[in-house]
Amino acid sequence: MSPDEQPVAADDAGAPDGGDTGGPPVALPPDASRRLAELEDRPGHKGMFTSDLSVNEFLLVKEAGFHPLGFVMGSSIYHLGIQTRRWSQSQELAKLTEAMYNARELAMNRMDAEAMELGADGVVGVRLDVNYYEWGSDTAEFIALGTAVKAEDGRSYRNNQGKPFSSDLSGQDFWTLMQTGHVPLGLVMGTCVYHIAHRGLGQTLRTAGQNTELPNFTQALYEARELAMTRMQDEANALDATGIVGVRLEEKSHMWGDHTIEFLSLGTAVAKTDGEHTIPVPHAIISLDG
Amino acid sequence: MASDPALPEAAGRRLGSGAWSSGLSVPDFASCLSMGMDPVGFVQGYAVMQWSWYASSYVGTLGGPPAPTGAGQYSESWQCPHGFVGGDHRMYGFNYEQTWVESNWTNGWTLAYQRMVDEAEAIGAHGIIGVVDDMHHLSGTGAAEFQIRGTAVTVPGADPPPRPFTTFLAGQKLVKLVEAGFVPVSVVASLASVQMMGYCITHYQMAGTTAGNWSGTMSGGLGGVHSITQVGKAQRAARHLARERVRHQLGHDTLHGASLEQFDHEVGEGDLAIQCLIKGTRVRRFKDFDPLPVPDAVVRLS
Repeated sequence: MSPDEQPVAADDAGAPDGGDTGGPPVALPPDASRRLAELEDRPGHKGMFTSDLSVNEFLLVKEAGFHPLGFVMGSSIYHLGIQTRRWSQSQELAKLTEAMYNARELAMNRMDAEAMELGADGVVGVRLDVNYYEWGSDTAEFIALGTAVKAEDGRSYRNNQGKPFSSDLSGQDFWTLMQTGHVPLGLVMGTCVYHIAHRGLGQTLRTAGQNTELPNFTQALYEARELAMTRMQDEANALDATGIVGVRLEEKSHMWGDHTIEFLSLGTAVAKTDGEHTIPVPHAIISLDG
Repeated sequence: MASDPALPEAAGRRLGSGAWSSGLSVPDFASCLSMGMDPVGFVQGYAVMQWSWYASSYVGTLGGPPAPTGAGQYSESWQCPHGFVGGDHRMYGFNYEQTWVESNWTNGWTLAYQRMVDEAEAIGAHGIIGVVDDMHHLSGTGAAEFQIRGTAVTVPGADPPPRPFTTFLAGQKLVKLVEAGFVPVSVVASLASVQMMGYCITHYQMAGTTAGNWSGTMSGGLGGVHSITQVGKAQRAARHLARERVRHQLGHDTLHGASLEQFDHEVGEGDLAIQCLIKGTRVRRFKDFDPLPVPDAVVRLS
């Protein structure tokens, strides 16, 4: 390792279950299967649903022609190992990017597996969180949570990969999106963990006392965000999406220090439904609430 | 479009890909479609600027020269009534415009804005809606990053304008603006920065003590309520400077959805750096106001 190389956490664990992280969902834990079985309607057993939808969301999901089936989740506890970085060079930390990506994919695949177990067409209100615990240094838990839903008209709304669509849209947003003649295809994301170079003494002296642009920093941050967004769009293209709505760009240093940042881009890939669609004219309202 | 030399390579790659992306929320997306606009891409611009506060040190503690200012810039000075008392006694106070902060902010914001507009032009956009901007200091670098993002849109069937219009508005607010007979022209923003180096009276006032019996310059007693003249003047000057600059950017147009934020940073004991930021959307009337239908009265169930 050269003197300006520093170790940072990176994926050295691979897929914890030894599986292909981008492949089909893994088998469910027995407890999950038991919980989901209790939700199903079958002869001699009246099913019920659980959901984290608010009452208004529930109403609008029903209005959109879907019925909630159950609250579904997936998680992955991932160990992030070591990757070297150059003190004076801006660069993507590819192994870390891969680790952050794979861990989220695992969590989402497990959530999808629960939704498929329920025969769902989609999952709405998906939340994707990362938690760190004191008991595991360089270890993080990635969790995906949402409410599985099924279309009441019997049509399949699964995407071109045969999976239930997932979406971080609220019940209200889900209804509104359907009114525009679009359907969600999947929660798409792109991530890029980037090391921003430290400035050397020479660079610092050359610009001492000046207020001026630092093109290297601009370029590095630009590149990192664009990479994350390009990867998100690649996922959307793989789903044959026409667009992505609600894109947000999150930036976190997690546990890596100031100069190493994860850029995470997230949004819901959508496709236009067939045929002409007229968007209802909005009504002007006056709220009678105080 | 992917090979536009004005764009970073990664931006060209992203904008050349198939699916469009949009930072609009779903309600804003629906409003955008209902207005006849199609989103064509999420566009962004960034600039990292070195941020030196090299000129912020106090220059007149014991009667040194007033802070340097150029012609037309705001500056004011105060002299204490006590004469020499001790080494830590501020005999002079100064308010002065920090042009280096203003020009650095303007350069950074404009660079980021231009880059966002360049991205939008590269994909043939007619405008950018739902613009959001931010500026934050990059920890441990002595640099500040300017970020400006928005959703590029086209209006099918319309001729492209010479430059894409830009607006902070999206969704129902944009719909209402057009209903009211205005179209957005561009976002405008201006920052004014005034440094206040307090003299002894200002220090006493800010500390909540009084020099009234001593100097005879204050009417209030200990704990009395009074305005702090030097601080008030610095704040008014910052607001006035920011307002005037925005007015200058507007030409004959109107400012819509203006927001004014003022930040007072303590840069030393009794010394303040006061910044005033005004932002809004420059709008132009294109038709007379059509009264809206009578609104429905509703009660929310939540």
